[in-house]
Amino acid sequence: MKWPWRKRYDELDEEIRAHIEMSAHEREERGELAEEARAAARREFGNVGLVKETTRDTWSYVWIERLWQDVRYGARMLRKSPGFTAIAVLTLALGIGANTAIFSFVYGVLLAPLPYHDASRLVVLNETTPRVGTVSVSYPNFIDWRSQSRSFSQIAYIEQVSFNLAGASVSRPENIQGDSVTPNFLSMMGVRPFLGRDFEPAEGNSGTQRVLLLGYQLWQSHFFADPNVVGRSITLDGNDFVIIGVLPPDYRSLDRIDVMLPIGVWTTNNPSAARRGDRGDSTVVARLAQGTSLAQARAEMEGIAASLARGYPEENDQFGVQLRPIRDAFAGNLRTEILVLFAAVMFVLLIASANVANLFLVRGAARTKEIALRMAFGASRSRIIRQLLTESFVLAFLGGTLGIGFALAGIRLITRLIRQDTLVGASIGLNGAALLFTAGVVVLAAFVFGMAPAVHWAKRDVQGELKEGGRTASVGAAQNRLRGILAVAEISLALVLLAGAGLMLKSLYRLINVNPGIQPDRVLTMEMYLSSQRYSHDPAVLNFWRQILDGVRALPGVESAALGNHIPLTGRHGRTDITIEGMALPKPGSFPHPDIHTVSPDYVRTLGMVLERGRTFTEADNDTAPLVALVNDKLARQYWPNEDPIGKRFMWGRFNPASKTPPKWITVVGVVGDTKMYGLANPSRLEVYAPLQQDADDDMDLLVKSQLDASALTSEIRGVVAAVDKDQPIFAIATMNKIVSDGVAAPRLTLVLLGLFSALALILAAIGIYGVISYSVAQRTHEIGVRMTLGAQRLDILRMVLGQGGKIALVGIVVGIVAAFGLTRLMSGLLFSVSAGDPETFAAVAGLLVLVAIFACYIPARRAIRVDPMIALRYE
Amino acid sequence: MKERYRNRIELLQGTLDLLLLQTLRWGPQHGYGISRAIQSQSGDVLQVDTGSLYPALHRLERKKWIAADWKTSENKQRVRVYRLTAKGRTQLADERSRWEQLSCAIAGILNAAKKEFET
Repeated sequence: MKWPWRKRYDELDEEIRAHIEMSAHEREERGELAEEARAAARREFGNVGLVKETTRDTWSYVWIERLWQDVRYGARMLRKSPGFTAIAVLTLALGIGANTAIFSFVYGVLLAPLPYHDASRLVVLNETTPRVGTVSVSYPNFIDWRSQSRSFSQIAYIEQVSFNLAGASVSRPENIQGDSVTPNFLSMMGVRPFLGRDFEPAEGNSGTQRVLLLGYQLWQSHFFADPNVVGRSITLDGNDFVIIGVLPPDYRSLDRIDVMLPIGVWTTNNPSAARRGDRGDSTVVARLAQGTSLAQARAEMEGIAASLARGYPEENDQFGVQLRPIRDAFAGNLRTEILVLFAAVMFVLLIASANVANLFLVRGAARTKEIALRMAFGASRSRIIRQLLTESFVLAFLGGTLGIGFALAGIRLITRLIRQDTLVGASIGLNGAALLFTAGVVVLAAFVFGMAPAVHWAKRDVQGELKEGGRTASVGAAQNRLRGILAVAEISLALVLLAGAGLMLKSLYRLINVNPGIQPDRVLTMEMYLSSQRYSHDPAVLNFWRQILDGVRALPGVESAALGNHIPLTGRHGRTDITIEGMALPKPGSFPHPDIHTVSPDYVRTLGMVLERGRTFTEADNDTAPLVALVNDKLARQYWPNEDPIGKRFMWGRFNPASKTPPKWITVVGVVGDTKMYGLANPSRLEVYAPLQQDADDDMDLLVKSQLDASALTSEIRGVVAAVDKDQPIFAIATMNKIVSDGVAAPRLTLVLLGLFSALALILAAIGIYGVISYSVAQRTHEIGVRMTLGAQRLDILRMVLGQGGKIALVGIVVGIVAAFGLTRLMSGLLFSVSAGDPETFAAVAGLLVLVAIFACYIPARRAIRVDPMIALRYE
Repeated sequence: MKERYRNRIELLQGTLDLLLLQTLRWGPQHGYGISRAIQSQSGDVLQVDTGSLYPALHRLERKKWIAADWKTSENKQRVRVYRLTAKGRTQLADERSRWEQLSCAIAGILNAAKKEFET
């Protein structure tokens, strides 16, 4: 390739050559000998290379040319040592790849702007109660919040709804989900419908016409993106809804949104909307008014909630309010995980950089003579440093490119391992921000490991270098110290990572060994929701469930089948107050508030729960029989300590002594073991089970225990359901094992990634310490030879070498343990029944590092004791 | 290596530029010629170091105060010859008057000091 500056280059050469020749010519004319004249002229001129160099500095495009030259030179040098290049590039690529992959998640979940107008002023509000924690907001309370608060420019109510969709538009009946919202919701969020119109204020009132907006996905899949969809209708739960528009494709919500309805439609069909004590699946979103801070809004809302608690003690006693930025609601539970992993990959990248810096230092030592020669030929010190930096940038560029490949693979792997719903619609991809971040990391890395040799070179004495041939003890001293420090840093960073991974491992082990209270093996579960249009009264509902159970039980291979409405670990739940017969009546907010289950007779057996006392339900526990219930161990112990709970009685709701109607007492007939309703890491709550026939529910999970393969069984069950009602959808199909393992998916993923990162860190740190020791052994070959000649035993030499490595390892471990004690505290939120400073874990990882360090030092140490003194002495 | 240059008499910033422009006032000249001219005209007091000369020539060329052409010398050598441009002529006048001001000022100070010393 011919570059524009080539000509300029040649011309400068010629100009200077002419200068010297003219000078020599003049000297000759003055009578000097040709040879002498030439030499004198050259001497007088000075350092040709340096003059050229400084002259070129004045050229405007010189830096491009320099850069290109340096890049080419760097590439050539890297090609000449493929081993070094491969290790350095791979090390960097792994560091950068892991970093970019994790940053893509950090960006997607924590940083990417939410697709709402001025999202930083949006807050999510919930009610709270000490018995449960965060709960939904009752609609009448919301109405009061709206009229009493001054902190918000807008406030909206969002109720989750679900429907059965059947008929000609779908190949198979299905269940769809959506939100019912106050009409101001979309405009408050700054979201405009993709097609059609937004809701109108009147649609917030009961008795409004049934209208809805389609989610973009549903519009694509069920209406084939029909641009004339507005005005058409869709049948949900047997009711016709007029489609008034389509939501935009980038609409993002905390829930899956197939359809969006105005709240007026929901209040029309739901008497519970008017009950202040009913808290369904709802949340409130508000926009802070201009000039109002979150803290001010929180103070005002707490006042309003307190006054509502006083004003409506029956419904609101001890209920408070919680406000948080909408960003927190979206980041949800992943925040700590992601930040911990991000810190971990930063550590890996630091270790990788330290390692490459170490490699560079070794190489720098090997290249002493080459560089000294280049400086003697007129390369300026700054030029050499620039050259070395360029070389490291070339390396970082290669590492970065390969790293992006690793990152893409990593992102794909992690998104496959992660549960999609935990990402709440965050799109994770190698996006611009992630790339920008990688570029930043690469430049930083290049700078870090480019600087190490550059600093080293900045204070070298070229003359000495050339004379001594670049192999003296004094040369290495400072460098060895630097390399020792790098190795110490690597070991301490690796220890922090290992400690984190160790804690996660122990935590996950404990979590997996938590008894969920059920035996999930070979149990398949699926949900069915009966639309109230078709099954408007209990006998119809019960008749449907009976037919389903009979049909499924008759399938070959089925051991048992049961129904339950709130399966452990699925997140579905229902809670209500109860009154224990004879208890001192507490304040309204302090009644026992157990999780309630409606279950069919075989429920306990099918789920493999423990029956501790009494009996389970039978077919005889129907609507004409005495009311009965099962309670869990925790409830029995808490309310009937040291008594036999069998035969004790309680009632739904709060006992009112003034009431004329006699209380409906329910008799406890059995005690079952506690189950984990809200995740393995959370304690069990109070639980009460009622028989299906006495407490019918139209939304149940079918549980089937069998020897059959899940997908075969599913299609058999589909047949059974279709035979009973061809329009009845089945959804949320999963094996119980999947549900249990999904419960530990997040900590497991964190462990897998932390484990990978710390393994990488361990290998890199081992390479680091190995490099230092083996280089030092190579340098000290002569000294070792002398020592052996003077009578040192092999054991002494071994001790000397291992001692040197041991010192590095020990300092690294001590520093690492101190750092780890400080840093693992940040991940205590992720740990289950393990303290962040668990001494066992710390001891184990320290021990592991000692072993690895000894192994890494042993290889060069063995080389040292094999030194033949005679050869070593001649080695100079 | 750096020290070698540091030990030489360094011309005041901008002085070399003035000398170069002034030398080229007598006609186009190549680098070697310029350095010889400065040396002889200063009575061998000033010796322009090649490490300063060529960067300065190229810098002035970039500023378009001087221009360069390739010519063939008496002994059949291709040489790069610099000449003063119109812009360079103006610049030379400026630099000159600035230099005169400066030397006047310095002379004034030195004379004052001399008088003080004498009294």
